[in-house]
Amino acid sequence: MADNNRNSQLHGKPVSRTLGEALAERGVSRRSFLKFASYTASILALPPTAATAIAEGLATARRQSVIWLSFQECTGCTESITRASSPSIEDLIFDFISLDYHHTLQNAAGDAAEHARMQAMEENKGEYLVVVDGSIPAGNNGYSTIAGMSNVEMFEETAEHAKAVIAVGTCAAFGGIPAARPNPTGAVPVSELTDKPVINISGCPPIPEAMTGTIAYLLSFAGIPELDHLGRPQAFFGEAIHDRCYRRPFYEKGMFAKSFDDQGARQGWCLYEVGCKGPVTYNACATLKWNQGVSFPIQSGHGCLGCSEPGFWDFGGFYKPLATGKDDTLKYAAGAAVAGAAIGAASAVSVRSKRKKLLEANAAPQAIKEEAE
Amino acid sequence: MTNAAAPCQTENVTGMARSVLSEISGMLQALANNETAGSVDLRSLPLTQADRRQLEDALGRGEVAVELELAGRSSIWETRYAGVWWIRHRGAQEKVSSEEISVCRVPDILTSQPADITAAALRLQQELSQNPSIHPEASDG
Repeated sequence: MADNNRNSQLHGKPVSRTLGEALAERGVSRRSFLKFASYTASILALPPTAATAIAEGLATARRQSVIWLSFQECTGCTESITRASSPSIEDLIFDFISLDYHHTLQNAAGDAAEHARMQAMEENKGEYLVVVDGSIPAGNNGYSTIAGMSNVEMFEETAEHAKAVIAVGTCAAFGGIPAARPNPTGAVPVSELTDKPVINISGCPPIPEAMTGTIAYLLSFAGIPELDHLGRPQAFFGEAIHDRCYRRPFYEKGMFAKSFDDQGARQGWCLYEVGCKGPVTYNACATLKWNQGVSFPIQSGHGCLGCSEPGFWDFGGFYKPLATGKDDTLKYAAGAAVAGAAIGAASAVSVRSKRKKLLEANAAPQAIKEEAE
Repeated sequence: MTNAAAPCQTENVTGMARSVLSEISGMLQALANNETAGSVDLRSLPLTQADRRQLEDALGRGEVAVELELAGRSSIWETRYAGVWWIRHRGAQEKVSSEEISVCRVPDILTSQPADITAAALRLQQELSQNPSIHPEASDG
């Protein structure tokens, strides 16, 4: 895990080579950079012509030190980003970062592991990225500890001199399942505990490309990508699942599956009435899909759970239509569904505009409440 | 749950292919006029498989086709319209990681990159100096 590309000293500080220089020695050509850049431009919804700039930015960047902290989580986010596959263009991102600390993946244990974290913080002060998966229990420091430190202490110590924080997964971004009612540990998202720039990459788990694409953007352009009102990269969270769903035409024609084994379901009709949360869920599942683009929940016959949204666990039931939620305004969407009216786009906008009220009603995290105000 | 792979996703022709072709036509005219290159990211478009087949059939295959083994296989071919290139990059398990139609004289990825040329020149010099058997002067012997 430790960065092994520090090969010289300047004024007592280690100097690292550029990614282009370091990877060239391992036989990774600039042409490979260009291929990776084409892939990155595509997933970031940038024009293909941006690939050259991305490739150049990556080649001249230094390997990025990353400290990954796991708190109240299930390791699903790590599983997602390290999904098993043969070495490929998607995996090049792991050559671009130095993962200096990660509970699950690092070889070191005990004092040696904590020493690696401290060393990375010292050597890359002000330059390292902190990635967090899992929410942080703020109700009682004893709920979750690592190496004798509470999660709050470890996060605050590590984030203090970080360049930015990436909250990976809905738990880190919005509190997620640990923060679901009655939130026994007082779980909070990382954004409530730091003043550093926070990029939320929500999802349970997040789409791997959303994680790697964001890191690639940070390296290529030395800046933070455009974020939405919930701190998520617009490139991945700018559109509702519903807006890019291939079943959308059925919604607009009022053709809905009423159960998972009826004729409508077999014909691939819209899953709105069996609980699909696609109209109020912002993510790239419908375009990037999962498992190297094989499918996504709706394509596999199941409605969207809304896992990338704040308070998704408390939405009121995975199989209940949005219309039966607590927010009366959502019944407008139900009206459209029952009547079979072709108002698709307008309905989605209506739902989104009222989403904040729904989140508040479901005890959404404080950060979201503040945003709504 | 019933696996309801929707027929519309794979079978319906939506007319998107025609729209893409019109865009490509404009780009090709611009390239002909003033060498301005352009490209279309196919992955970002809601093309059905039928649309994609229609587009591929319409553009056809031209004189050049290249396969790259580069962190996964890449297939690049010039369509039957000179200057219109189809670029398909694959990643893990042969899945398409990105796909674009590039309107240009030669796609960037096919040209040798300056950094690679510099590294190659150095490597060849080193190999010649370290291995006399392939050194021209040594073979004159």
